[in-house]
Amino acid sequence: MTSSFLLSLTTFAYLLCTVLYLSGTVFRFKPLLTAGTVSGLAALLVQTAGVGLRWVESYRMGYGHAPLSNMYESLVFASWAIMLIYLVFEWRTKQRALGVFPALFSFLAMAYASFSKDVDSKIQPLVPALKSNWLIAHVMTCFLGYAAFAVSFGLSVLYVVKKRSTGNPKPQGALAAFLPSVPQLEWFNYQMVLFGFLWLSVGIITGSIWANSAWGTYWSWDPKETWSLITWLIYAALLHARNMQGWKGERVAWLSMIGFGCVLFTYFGVNFLLSGLHSYAR
Amino acid sequence: MPKENSASTGVTMGWLSSLKLTLVLFFALAASSVIGTLLPQGVSAPELRGHFSPAVVSLIDLLGLNNLYHSIWFRVLLLLLCLNMVACTVERLPKTVRLMRRPEDPFDSRKLSKFGCSASIAAPLSQEQAQSIVETAVGESFGPLRRIGPPDHYCAISEKGRWSRLMVYGVHVSVLIVLVGALVGSYVGFKGTMNLAVGESSDIVLLAGEREVEELPFTVRCDKFDISFYDTGAPKMFKADLAIIDKGVEVLKEPVVVNGPLTYQGITFYQASYGTTLKGAAIELTDESGTTIAMDLPYRESVTIPGTRERLTITEYEPDLMRFGQALEIKSEKEGQRPSIQWILVDRPFHGNRIENYQVRVVRAERVRYTGLEVKKDPGVWLVWAGFTFMTLAIGLTFYSSHRKLWVCIEPDEKGKKSVVSFAGRMSRNAQAFEEKFESLRTRLQKELIQ
Repeated sequence: MTSSFLLSLTTFAYLLCTVLYLSGTVFRFKPLLTAGTVSGLAALLVQTAGVGLRWVESYRMGYGHAPLSNMYESLVFASWAIMLIYLVFEWRTKQRALGVFPALFSFLAMAYASFSKDVDSKIQPLVPALKSNWLIAHVMTCFLGYAAFAVSFGLSVLYVVKKRSTGNPKPQGALAAFLPSVPQLEWFNYQMVLFGFLWLSVGIITGSIWANSAWGTYWSWDPKETWSLITWLIYAALLHARNMQGWKGERVAWLSMIGFGCVLFTYFGVNFLLSGLHSYAR
Repeated sequence: MPKENSASTGVTMGWLSSLKLTLVLFFALAASSVIGTLLPQGVSAPELRGHFSPAVVSLIDLLGLNNLYHSIWFRVLLLLLCLNMVACTVERLPKTVRLMRRPEDPFDSRKLSKFGCSASIAAPLSQEQAQSIVETAVGESFGPLRRIGPPDHYCAISEKGRWSRLMVYGVHVSVLIVLVGALVGSYVGFKGTMNLAVGESSDIVLLAGEREVEELPFTVRCDKFDISFYDTGAPKMFKADLAIIDKGVEVLKEPVVVNGPLTYQGITFYQASYGTTLKGAAIELTDESGTTIAMDLPYRESVTIPGTRERLTITEYEPDLMRFGQALEIKSEKEGQRPSIQWILVDRPFHGNRIENYQVRVVRAERVRYTGLEVKKDPGVWLVWAGFTFMTLAIGLTFYSSHRKLWVCIEPDEKGKKSVVSFAGRMSRNAQAFEEKFESLRTRLQKELIQ
């Protein structure tokens, strides 16, 4: 049994989980949703074992570091965190019909990590700059935040769908039938943003403490840092806007979607686009 | 006049403390940061001309977009955000404090029934009996009841987390602390680099961006520099063994690695880069008569050519000069003459290797590793750390603590045979969870009071 086998298994389990949630919601068939939850939980457990095994394997290779050190490992962790946060959310709220987006994101993260040519899945040794205990704290906190924002993105989309179909006199929207009420969705979404914002803040803070001990500066306007600040500003705007008359509701949902766009850009855009822009500047 | 003045102050204050300004500033800061990441920063206008049209370059130059985060207008945005936070705090904090300190208004069942979350139970019990049941039930599920008001009938309040209403101010204060810390660091501290060859010592730091130096109150010496690699060829560790010499006494000896800096007297040394530099060279000079003179030249030290009044100094070293390999820049000085400077190739002894009347041959160039240290003094960093710690706590408590209040009163009914227990509650956040809790209290009281 190797970690790569367990992690490929996870990828397909998340695909199955997505299909189950989607068909359960579309066909309004509750047992399918239950199956979605079960498969999601099973996939999460297999993935946990896979990540743990990869950690052990890195020690066997003589490198010995937490599996959070490169794009492949962070994608796997992102997928794990999204499913974990979603399942805890599902258990706390007893809502089953909101799993489509989290499962889809978990699957996409795993699929991209496994199949993209840009992502190297080999266990690599840590370069000196990454050798720090802050690695675990920084990556974990950031990705907990990102994962919560991914779930919030899903909730925002469903909020808009539900709100528009509620206004519709002829509710043909099969998707909206199982969904919680509009105020409930709004509340869940807000809770998810609060959770994400807390962890993003801690992620930026741990990152800046780490930067100070590795590079001698806690803030250097590096594109990655700056984009995480942009993300933070967008969600801070969302939290403030929610207190303003007339902003509660759909505008907050759109802000959350924009915020998740910033998360994606912080992660993929900065890695693939801005490094290119900067290499010419150098 | 004063009236008008205070009115305009009021308008300014109202504008500064508005939530609309907050949102505008958030979006403006986010949008300008986006521009800052898309446009290369720290690139001079002449360099930009190669990539953009002249009109665009002059616009970039005018707005300082190539050094956006340090431009005036970006700082103005940050300053406005600070003023906005201060104004909001000044305007809202006293209200919150007043609300928190206000003595409890007297209340009765009629007032409680107007709450969104309220209930009333008529119990066939005396007031004392009802009171003891209510105090036990509320004490177990919500917290102890505190009696208030006139003693003629029972009025009590159970309250938790009143302080949580202050936490949001804590978040804003923490952001201000971080920004003040950053300001302190940029005005009182410095940041620069020091390249230190093995065996060499120095107290001079080259400041970043400027042609200025900072003289340290002590000397740093590099005793050793190690690099190790993994089997894959990737670097594993850079380590410089440093010693601090203060007033001629060696006070500290410590290795510095990436992620493991050394701090002495508030000045921190970071292992940032490394390279190779020259230690010294052995050269042979051949004059026109064919006589050969051998010399040892330590790097950057002037040595007199034996039997002459001419002095030679190696002033620069290039590991690879225009792809011709290693090269030494040698300066020759003679009294009453202008010094002359020549590049001498080490690996290619060609006829152009001349200085004044001598043909130069480099017999041996001895190289040595140097460590590139980042040197920083930042007295504001402690404020930043304090702000960060405070911010984490304050955000967590703002989001996950709440102010919960439960009002209870027990009044005799009209006939005086029953006791009517009325209660109502409110929570500053998570209304849904509170309603569930309130409902379970209602069910429990219903059961225990009526039996």
